[in-house]
Amino acid sequence: MKFYFEDQELEGYEGIPIAAALHAAGIKVLSISERYKRPRGFFCAVGKCSSCLMEVDGTPNVMVCMEPLKKGMKVRRQKGRGHL
Amino acid sequence: MTEQASDICVIGGGPAGLEAAIAARELGAHVMIIDDNPVLGGQLIKQTHKFFGSKAHYCGVRGVDIAKILTDRVNELKIDVVNNATVVGYYDDHLLGVLKQDTFFPIKAKRYIFATGASENMLAFENSDLPGVYGAGAVQTMMNVYGVVPGKKALVIGSGNIGLIVPYQLLQAGVEVVAIVEILDKVGGYYVHAAKIKRAGVPIYLKHTIIEAKGRDSVETAVITEVGSKYECLLGTEKTIECDIILIAIGLSPLCELLYQAGCRIDYIPELGGHVPFHNEDMMTSQQHIFVCGDLACIEEASTAMLEGKIAGAKAYETLYGENEKSNEIASQAEKELSIIRSSPYEERILFGRKKLTP
Repeated sequence: MKFYFEDQELEGYEGIPIAAALHAAGIKVLSISERYKRPRGFFCAVGKCSSCLMEVDGTPNVMVCMEPLKKGMKVRRQKGRGHL
Repeated sequence: MTEQASDICVIGGGPAGLEAAIAARELGAHVMIIDDNPVLGGQLIKQTHKFFGSKAHYCGVRGVDIAKILTDRVNELKIDVVNNATVVGYYDDHLLGVLKQDTFFPIKAKRYIFATGASENMLAFENSDLPGVYGAGAVQTMMNVYGVVPGKKALVIGSGNIGLIVPYQLLQAGVEVVAIVEILDKVGGYYVHAAKIKRAGVPIYLKHTIIEAKGRDSVETAVITEVGSKYECLLGTEKTIECDIILIAIGLSPLCELLYQAGCRIDYIPELGGHVPFHNEDMMTSQQHIFVCGDLACIEEASTAMLEGKIAGAKAYETLYGENEKSNEIASQAEKELSIIRSSPYEERILFGRKKLTP
């Protein structure tokens, strides 16, 4: 099943968390921090720590360690707090 | 919006919450479980290892299979389950605010049993925010639930049971475990787990800690150092270790935010995991309609969490409908088994902490 990360086409299994699919594709950096522009990855993987927030289909602050992957999803690295 | 109501509402569908719901339902109460995952079982679903203890505590059964046994029982008893839903607030009139995907709705019950569990603790060191620094449980989830191997070379910080079991599972998945680092002078977890790790040839550095992670976009190396008698870093003992994931397994903190909101008394008891809701032997908090069980009440393990769940379920029922033979039996049997487990030398710290729970 295909989905997109920063316009790049990737393959993943439907229904697994987006973070798992990205990790399987070798992508560890999920967002860039607000102030010091540091790379961020996930930490807890169970929807508690908010370290994995990304922009999914235009919506910012989606917890990608919990959000299931769907066909054709467009996932982007979130910069800072994200924009609506 | 319409309000959903039940006698007893259980928040959290892990081992403690499921046992609480099952106990209360078996006694005849109308029970509802709210859980934020797509499937019930909480963290049991990633525990591919077998439990030990006695038959009554699912000895020899893998965590993931215990989740299935409990979930089947929940379905058999026709307990209402609201999954993929997060309780985001506890409001006046004892109302829960629940968010399920994009809908927000209230739930009201006569009794609440909170079994929200705990979250993994973070450790402060240089570059600890680099991708590749993960909670040990996070890696376990990725690997055992979703089949994603998170790296090639792992360094583990902390040698409690999680810090010993997860690296063993990493080895099984073909990941090299370069070392386990423990700040104390002895291994924290059970000896059997430590022995397995040692037999696999993984070094355990006692009296060591991590001071830095290095890497451009994600972890490439880690610097560890020896510590002195006051846990100070000893200069000149730094070692650089090549690794692409660092697992933090230094402990858990109870998730008691909702209980603060509900006005429950929260005590600081380090032996039980930090800030924990005060509760009596019946698992009742300072609010008489709110009960707690599992890691939220005291960071322990799944076996004890399940027993606490049974007690909370039975006692919550009794406060609504009075005691009966069956409710007495469920609670006293669980209490008995709990005291047997807690008589182990590994549980001294827990017992010491529990003595601080005074009204």
